[in-house]
Amino acid sequence: MAITVNNVQQHAADRGARAIGAFTARAVPPAGSEAVAAPTAQAATALLRRLAATRTVTALCAFALFVGLWYGVSAWINNRILVPSPTQVATALVQLGASGELFTHALVSTSRLGMSLIASLVLAVPLGFAMGMNEKLNAYLDPVVELLRPISGIAWIPIGLFIFGVGDTLPVFIMVYVAFFPLLLNTIAGVRNVDRKLIDAARTMGVRRTPMLLHVVVPAALPTIMVGFRLAFAGAWSAIIAAELIGAPSGLGFAIEWYRELLMSPKMFAFIVLIGIVGYVCDLLLRALQRVLTPWAEGTGLA
Amino acid sequence: MSTMSLPVAPVRRLRRAWLMQITLVPLVLLGVWEVWAVLAGDSHAPAPTRVIESFIELVAQGGLIGATVESLGRVVSGFAVALVLGVVLGILMGSNRWVRNLLDPIVESFRPVAPMALLPLAILWLGAGTPAAVSIVAYAAFFPLLINTVHGVSRVDRKLVLAARTMGVPRWRILTKVVLPASLPAVLLGSRLAMGVAWTAIVAAELGVGAKSGGGGSGGIGAMMFVFYAYNVDLNAIVVCMIVVGVVALLIDRLFRFAEHRLMPWRT
Repeated sequence: MAITVNNVQQHAADRGARAIGAFTARAVPPAGSEAVAAPTAQAATALLRRLAATRTVTALCAFALFVGLWYGVSAWINNRILVPSPTQVATALVQLGASGELFTHALVSTSRLGMSLIASLVLAVPLGFAMGMNEKLNAYLDPVVELLRPISGIAWIPIGLFIFGVGDTLPVFIMVYVAFFPLLLNTIAGVRNVDRKLIDAARTMGVRRTPMLLHVVVPAALPTIMVGFRLAFAGAWSAIIAAELIGAPSGLGFAIEWYRELLMSPKMFAFIVLIGIVGYVCDLLLRALQRVLTPWAEGTGLA
Repeated sequence: MSTMSLPVAPVRRLRRAWLMQITLVPLVLLGVWEVWAVLAGDSHAPAPTRVIESFIELVAQGGLIGATVESLGRVVSGFAVALVLGVVLGILMGSNRWVRNLLDPIVESFRPVAPMALLPLAILWLGAGTPAAVSIVAYAAFFPLLINTVHGVSRVDRKLVLAARTMGVPRWRILTKVVLPASLPAVLLGSRLAMGVAWTAIVAAELGVGAKSGGGGSGGIGAMMFVFYAYNVDLNAIVVCMIVVGVVALLIDRLFRFAEHRLMPWRT
């Protein structure tokens, strides 16, 4: 329904554009032959219209507007420390990239992220399978999960600082905690929502426990687990910045706070931009992984 | 009498079994924790009984409740800003394809920038105090609200809008009488998610502000935790604060679920 309505509107818009193109071509007669100019002008406006409708062009316009606005504000405030201009930030990015500082901090943060995601996968997924398949175990362990889950990972930072001190372990601990719950809950949900008919069918055909798990339960639960993994990543990505900002001597979160204290705002902005880029790239990679691992989830709302 | 008591006994037994099931593991864990603390011999080691003592003491002083209320006040004001911005922009982006194409890339490029990454910027612009914390909350709460509103508005049944337009209903009335009620479920869902994120963000922001202003002058539950870590070194009090953070998060979630249920009884 929505698609047909859109098509009709698009069609009407095209016709309107063509009409406007024809009208302007006629109203402002060009120097050359009118018979040739009218269709080209018409084609040009139509082309412009179509270009304006494409996503890349509007995206570029949006970024141009944003950068322009930023330039305006920085020129108006005229204070390098409060609002550095986009060119200053770009120069800082290039400088930091050339000195390699950009990559060291990004590498530190992403390796911590990777480590903690793997650790929480190892902890949460097997436990989720056990709790999803065993009602009794679930009944006993679920209260503990529900008691701990509302306490956000951030709230563990002070006690984590006390236990682990400032260093590598604190961000990893916080992220493992943050990533654990979405993974666990999605694994349980995924395992529980496996179509009973599939299991019954496999059982009727005499499939044993291990093949059943590998060939029926895992493929059916994997899309939900992958959704949990992306949620876990999103939570961990926000938590790592907080953990590094407060309690680590390296990493992206540390770097922005470090350059704020030095009042080197262009570099601080450069690291904020970098955080956005790294987060975006990681999400793209996870989406690709999701498509590769669970192509059968496409179009089910879990993709 | 006897006909009444017959079904009650099994129900009571079932309830007792259920109660045992849900309390067994938490109680065992608490017991292990207590024994560990006693064996550790350190009178500062956190233990359940000491946490309870600490809780009573902190409540009696009034500091705990004051700090929680202060944090909640910041969450509510940040959330209010995000609600207005998110819903207005969401309606614009959801109903106008051109606006959506223009703003979507910008929104998507800000989304992976974690709220805490902007805390240094907020401190730089607004100083280490309430405005910085509130702006971080507003930023964090903005995205779930915006994205859910856009989703809700763009999913409004076109037939309803077209029918209203055919009958000559003015644009503003279509918005208030057709589009808004139809997208209410999505907005409420966004509000619940946003409030959860906002509560996490305020704790993070207060911790960060407390850590970076050198002395937690800003108040709030997060700053309180940091003071207990950095100055008083009172682990039991930190655990009390963590439990309060969890309980408040749970209460906020339940409150919003209740509101969803009350405002839209047709979707359980």
